[in-house]
Amino acid sequence: MEQEIQDYQMQNETGQPSPDEGYQVKLEIFEGPLDLLLFLIRKKKIDIHDIPIAVITRDYLEYLEKKDQINLDREAEFLFIAALLIYIKSQMLLPREQEVSQEDDPRRLLADQLLEFQKVKVACSILREKEENQLLRWKRTFMPPVAKPDELDLLEVSLFDLAETFFLMMKRKERENFQVIKGKDVSIEEKLKEIVSYLEKKGSMDFLEYFSRQETLEEALVSFFGLLELVKNHTVIALQERLFQTIRVWLRKDGHHQIPHGQNYE
Amino acid sequence: MNEQLKAILEVLIFISQEPLTLEKIKEILGEVPEEELRTTLQTLQNDYSSDERGIQIIQTAGGYLFSTKPEHDQWVRRLLQIEKKSKLSSAALETLSLIAYHQPITQAEISAIRGVDSTYCLKTLLLKKLIKIVGRKKAPGNPLVYRTTEKFLQYFGLNSLDDLPKEEEITKILEEEKQSIS
Repeated sequence: MEQEIQDYQMQNETGQPSPDEGYQVKLEIFEGPLDLLLFLIRKKKIDIHDIPIAVITRDYLEYLEKKDQINLDREAEFLFIAALLIYIKSQMLLPREQEVSQEDDPRRLLADQLLEFQKVKVACSILREKEENQLLRWKRTFMPPVAKPDELDLLEVSLFDLAETFFLMMKRKERENFQVIKGKDVSIEEKLKEIVSYLEKKGSMDFLEYFSRQETLEEALVSFFGLLELVKNHTVIALQERLFQTIRVWLRKDGHHQIPHGQNYE
Repeated sequence: MNEQLKAILEVLIFISQEPLTLEKIKEILGEVPEEELRTTLQTLQNDYSSDERGIQIIQTAGGYLFSTKPEHDQWVRRLLQIEKKSKLSSAALETLSLIAYHQPITQAEISAIRGVDSTYCLKTLLLKKLIKIVGRKKAPGNPLVYRTTEKFLQYFGLNSLDDLPKEEEITKILEEEKQSIS
């Protein structure tokens, strides 16, 4: 049975976050999550006649009462699997005049699905090989990978887009009715250094979020000009996933991360 | 003409960032017969296939595309200072191959075969543009229907959906596995 349990674990390697372990079945002959039980019944490793469904149901209800929070998805899945188990068992318990034919075996539907699933598994391993081979090939379409892989397909934005987003943000700030006047002077050069070192540390930054963090209008303006400068001299790249969405800024991989010196920005 | 044609084709493929299809080439080089295009493309591909060259012309997603060879991956990564590219999670790959074989398919159909909920995987795949929504099924609830994209073909280096491993191959592998276990 160990092989099956391994299979099951592979099948369930979903990569999805599972916040809690969920209900565990505890019987004399079996202990573990319910879907593992179903999996073993499908594979005819456990005889459904040996599974006291009343016990599972009672234990499960007790378990639910004890919980103060319920994960609906997980519990819905439990109900679905429990219902299947009850269906299979009821079918198996019915007295029949003739032996159940292969066709009518209530486990058949499950067995078919399992077969289909095994086929998918094989297809997956073939596709995985192809994927690995392709990942080793580099195409001209390649763009420096930015941050997380699920943020692919970003558009590079022009200075105008940047400006537009900035003024949008400024309007928003204006509405907040800023009245604080601070005597702090910020130079563009200081801001350039700040942005670059921020990017070096964090990898990327959210344009809108960064500006709304600026304390004064003046400081926001100065950092905006600093950013424009960085985009212009190709130190950073600004990308936007879709129109009207926030703009994210990355250091260019090929850039020299230089902060332009000796220029007068006043 | 032939040498010149070869050079032109090379240029066209080099400039294209997406796989360049034969249809597109015909559109551009209207008067050249298709047969000549095909043979010239073949010789061009042969020129590049030599071991002395690092670049190849591959056929993917129904078109021609310049690509480096797999064995030079580490050098490219060293230049670009990139760790290995990330692979799809096994759940996402599972969902994707189900869609590839059974398209058009709904989420409920996918989840039924996988035995687990597939919403999250579908979202990831949509984001990566490996699948697309093509409409709704005329069934209770009018569920959305999914298909694979051109980018899916490119991602796996397939020229068309016919290049997917065939049902017979899969059954054969399954039987071999069964025998090796028993």
